Amino acid sequence: MSMAQVCCDSAVAATAAPVVGAEAEARARARAERRSRAGESGAWKHAVAAGTADATRKRSLGAGELLVARKHGAASVAGRRREMEDAVSVRDAFCAEGTADGGRRDFYGVFDGHGCSHVAEACRDRMHELVAEELAATAADSSVSAAAAWTVAMERSFARMDAEVTSAGGRAAAARSSTCRCDAHRCDHVGSTAVVAVVEEHSVIVANCGDSRAVLCRGDGAPPLPLSSDHKPDRPDELERIESAGGRVIFWEGARVLGVLAMSRAVGDGYLKPYVSSVPEVTVTDRSDGDECLILGSDGLWDVVSNEAACEVARACLRRGRAKWCAEAAALLTKLALARRSSDNVSVVVIDLRRRNH
Amino acid sequence: MDQQGAGGDVEVPAGLGLTAAEYEQLRPTVDAHHRYAVGEGQCSSLLAQRIHAPPAAVWAIVRRFDCPQVYKHFIRSCAVRPDPDAGDALRPGRLREVCVISGLPASTSTERLDHLDDAARVFGFSITGGEHRLRNYRSVTTVSELAGPGICTVVLESYAVDVPDGNTEDDTRLFADTVIRLNLQKLKSVAEASTSSSAPPPPSE
Repeated sequence: MSMAQVCCDSAVAATAAPVVGAEAEARARARAERRSRAGESGAWKHAVAAGTADATRKRSLGAGELLVARKHGAASVAGRRREMEDAVSVRDAFCAEGTADGGRRDFYGVFDGHGCSHVAEACRDRMHELVAEELAATAADSSVSAAAAWTVAMERSFARMDAEVTSAGGRAAAARSSTCRCDAHRCDHVGSTAVVAVVEEHSVIVANCGDSRAVLCRGDGAPPLPLSSDHKPDRPDELERIESAGGRVIFWEGARVLGVLAMSRAVGDGYLKPYVSSVPEVTVTDRSDGDECLILGSDGLWDVVSNEAACEVARACLRRGRAKWCAEAAALLTKLALARRSSDNVSVVVIDLRRRNH
Repeated sequence: MDQQGAGGDVEVPAGLGLTAAEYEQLRPTVDAHHRYAVGEGQCSSLLAQRIHAPPAAVWAIVRRFDCPQVYKHFIRSCAVRPDPDAGDALRPGRLREVCVISGLPASTSTERLDHLDDAARVFGFSITGGEHRLRNYRSVTTVSELAGPGICTVVLESYAVDVPDGNTEDDTRLFADTVIRLNLQKLKSVAEASTSSSAPPPPSE
């Protein structure tokens, strides 16, 4: 339990010194500066780079309309594993083009790395940019339905992300990662989960690859709604896909592809292609007036905390009525996972979905 | 492995990727170093990797009991246990502690150097402890030169291991072969890269 960090919409509250190298911080500042120079809208923040974002910035959209950054909180902790290989990405108003009705889109991602941290870090740094580019590309094609357009955009984004981390450029990027230990020869055995959510005024879009998870807390005591399905190798359709491709799943401390990897989809892991796929499963869910929050988490959380328990924790924080309830919920969920002896890194993002008039 | 051949009737083990003529050249090495008396509840396997680099260059990498991460995947760190009598010498009996990267069904492995023969290019180690499911694992790696056009080195790696409770021989072989195959591919990549940086590339592939 060497590191814990909470990132929220008004301030960064660290319960322990974040393990961020000066190099990583310099890179983060450089990226933020490049974006502001390019006129990109929206504040920027994520769990690893601390204190560089104007979390409460308001920006004008349309005739006099003001949008306030959607409330959210993020927490990441190394836990009982000695190294932090998770990464979290929060990108308010990440798309230059909004939705058809002029609303805005916010991007959230949890990336649980394995083998090394650099693939998860690359996802944190690039996935939102790829999604924004692919949305712009699919927006030009009006022949497809909204749900189909989202699926195309997400599948392309994940494919490009996968290509980036497995190409020579990916190796060069790995060399720049301050925590990467890989040698110059192939980093084929490194990968990451990716659960990504885009929150619009009327919809929540989730794309998932691996065994992190997104859960929607609906109000009025309704049961939690999973927006993703974990990609475990023994999920019947995944098992069938792997075996059709000539691979095998064996139980070697749990179900593993070729006895090696405990998930059936991931970004990276070139050595296990095509059995371990980077194609995401995409869901598009209409928002309801009673929705409370969206929770994204790595399996370090979900292995020891049920969807129901996670929503109860979030709801309890909501009822306390404090402005930073999302950050409190995220921090409390990580503590709960550690208390239940999760053996993995734990990363959690909690996003306030209540309508603005609340 | 119960491979038997009589006279000209040479059968190359399935999946090895060698021609009959190549295997025939390697048979003395296989017979001397890659055969195991496998009992009930155990399995064994033999894998081969062709490398276009001089055997001496390949052997220099394989023999590094102290630094397996040069050519093995999945290693986060490796430390050879100090031995006051041996000093820095790598000789049978030395132990190394390997830490494994995350995401795999293992976290540590304690390994003993069993055999290091620079003349014959034979390297052997066994796993004596650690957090993993490979019990009584012992392995031999040999580096051989094949006669013929162009440089061709063949690395053979074999092992015997217990089949864990709840798994089959096929499961066990699949897991171990996957890891070894990846390591041999990396060995090829490392050896050929180090050779190409110091000598003109070989004329034929």
